[in-house]
Amino acid sequence: MWLLVGLAARNALRNVQRTMLTALTVVFGTALLTLALTWEHGVFGNITQLAAAGAGHVRLVDPDYAQREDLFPLYENVPDVEAAVKRVSAVDGVTSAYPRIVSGVTLSAGEEIGDVFGLAVGAPLDWYTEILDVDAHLVEGRMLENDDEIVLGSTLVKKTGVKLGEELLVLGLTQDGAMSPVKGKVVGIVHASNALIDQQVYLTFPKVQYMTDMDGAATEILVYGEDYWDAADLRDAVKAGGAGGALQVEAWSDREPWSGILATFTVIQTILSGIIVFITALGVWNTMMMSVLERTGEIGVMRAMGLGRMGAVSLFVMEALAIAAIGGLVGVALGAIPAYALEVYGVDLGERIVQNAGDVPFSARMHGDLSWGVAVDAFLLGLLMAVVGSGPPALRAASIQPVAAMRSRR
Amino acid sequence: MKRFLLALLLAVSAASAAPEAGAADLPSASEVIKQIDRNMTFETRTMTITMASVNPRRTREFTMIAYGRGETEAAIEYTAPAREAGTRMLRKDDELWMYMPSVEKTQKISGHMLRQGMMGTDVSYEDMMAAGDLESDYDAKITAVEDCGAEFAGRQCWKMELNAKDPSISYPRRVAWIDTEYKIMARQELYAVSGMLLKKWTMSDVQKFDDGRYFPMKMEIADQLQQGTKTTLTFKDVKFGVDLQEEVFTMRWLERK
Repeated sequence: MWLLVGLAARNALRNVQRTMLTALTVVFGTALLTLALTWEHGVFGNITQLAAAGAGHVRLVDPDYAQREDLFPLYENVPDVEAAVKRVSAVDGVTSAYPRIVSGVTLSAGEEIGDVFGLAVGAPLDWYTEILDVDAHLVEGRMLENDDEIVLGSTLVKKTGVKLGEELLVLGLTQDGAMSPVKGKVVGIVHASNALIDQQVYLTFPKVQYMTDMDGAATEILVYGEDYWDAADLRDAVKAGGAGGALQVEAWSDREPWSGILATFTVIQTILSGIIVFITALGVWNTMMMSVLERTGEIGVMRAMGLGRMGAVSLFVMEALAIAAIGGLVGVALGAIPAYALEVYGVDLGERIVQNAGDVPFSARMHGDLSWGVAVDAFLLGLLMAVVGSGPPALRAASIQPVAAMRSRR
Repeated sequence: MKRFLLALLLAVSAASAAPEAGAADLPSASEVIKQIDRNMTFETRTMTITMASVNPRRTREFTMIAYGRGETEAAIEYTAPAREAGTRMLRKDDELWMYMPSVEKTQKISGHMLRQGMMGTDVSYEDMMAAGDLESDYDAKITAVEDCGAEFAGRQCWKMELNAKDPSISYPRRVAWIDTEYKIMARQELYAVSGMLLKKWTMSDVQKFDDGRYFPMKMEIADQLQQGTKTTLTFKDVKFGVDLQEEVFTMRWLERK
């Protein structure tokens, strides 16, 4: 084994130009992978984090509400929501739980009742500040303090023309479908460049309970644990404890569009990484094949001296791995420079993407997420490039017949 | 054999002639519709309405005072429950307005909103404010004499098919059972253009008024597009031909504090 390692190292240094070419191919591939994975992790992480915050790591709803959620069937609600929240909060692993009501409304500033549509959200104030971080995105004014106040997303501010301190009429529906108006003073304007924050009307929970005529009830209970990626475990814990009763208990990742988006992201990541690995492996294959052709005679001698087929394969694969290990480290280091810039500065995708994102909380400015995990993934994929790229030449070397090789004099 | 064939021929002829003889006994639809309109339309009218709405989750009850003048003007003021008290609605010609006292704003109800359930009940805004006569909106045909069914069970009704002259109206087709004595609808089914059954109305507690008209003091409406819902309208203090203040049908009345 060590003999093969030594031979592989020596061979790598025999033709420095070719080795450098192989290494540069791997450097380019791993640098590109580092940048791509940083971007993909950043975008995916940003969206999923916002999604899990907004949707709850786990959510408890009436099963009929979940079925027709797009229509906001407020009558399919959770009665005596305070008791239900208490029950769920006592489950192991639950760090917090909040009731929430979301309802479609029209908004009007001034005398005429307008036709600006928005989503009215009613939740406890600490859900806004500790979970959704609405206060971190305040661009004017302050957060809600009492029932007669409204915090408005910037997209709705633009559409209604309302200004800070002015009165806004929110025309919603009761759970029975009757028109139900409430009004309040706009005390804060938030802008986060994402649809989740910017296209909503934030009201106190009691105010929305009044508007929807849902005294003591809510449409959802949002439950949070330590890490949103452990939502499935939290869901199972809530179910096992029976805290949900007849309510439907679902992890954020179970729900559409997130379950579909998660699958799509996995496919995108696999395809993206696969393309980079394949292209880089082609470069490795090219240089390693040159090496095999150059050393046909030498391989023939070694085979005649007893080197087996596996030994011949290992010799070339180890050579490629040695080059890829060094090239991979350099590639990750070089790729980390633009990846870090991507993490710090991000890329402005424009407000249009936010408006067209529908339920997906796209941010207009997306940042990368450079982590040790990304670096290790890129490095390991660099080694994979070497294995894939050196495989065919190594197999060719293993198939060389000693007599034929020595006759070729190469 | 000849006798048998002759007897069979006579029997068949008699059977085929029977429906025609029955149809000839049915009254003219236009005459019946005029009589229905005489019972249901008015120059002026006031009444107190209790509207009970039942859905699978809960039951709610509203009380309101309703004013009407002719076919084009109607006004309603909610007096209970406290949440809705002070809410007023005004219909003038084809426009409908609603005043919301909690925010001191007036909302024009138009387009598809007119067909939504008023206060989330099975009765739409359009249903509640409608006062038009059937004769001008529908072509009618009486097709049979049947038991009235429902609250009028045991009484004779004419089954009437009504097809809208203008298919854009709320209910392009109605099938109504008209009490042969009272000349009011005992029940009716309201259909969409597509033929889908939208609502069923059942009337009861018929009362005869001083001017000779019959009027149902109770109506039950079930929206067939909703499951397990029904709305009952109970009328009290119904007065026809009363003097109404001019102010009632104005925006000033609607928005008064």
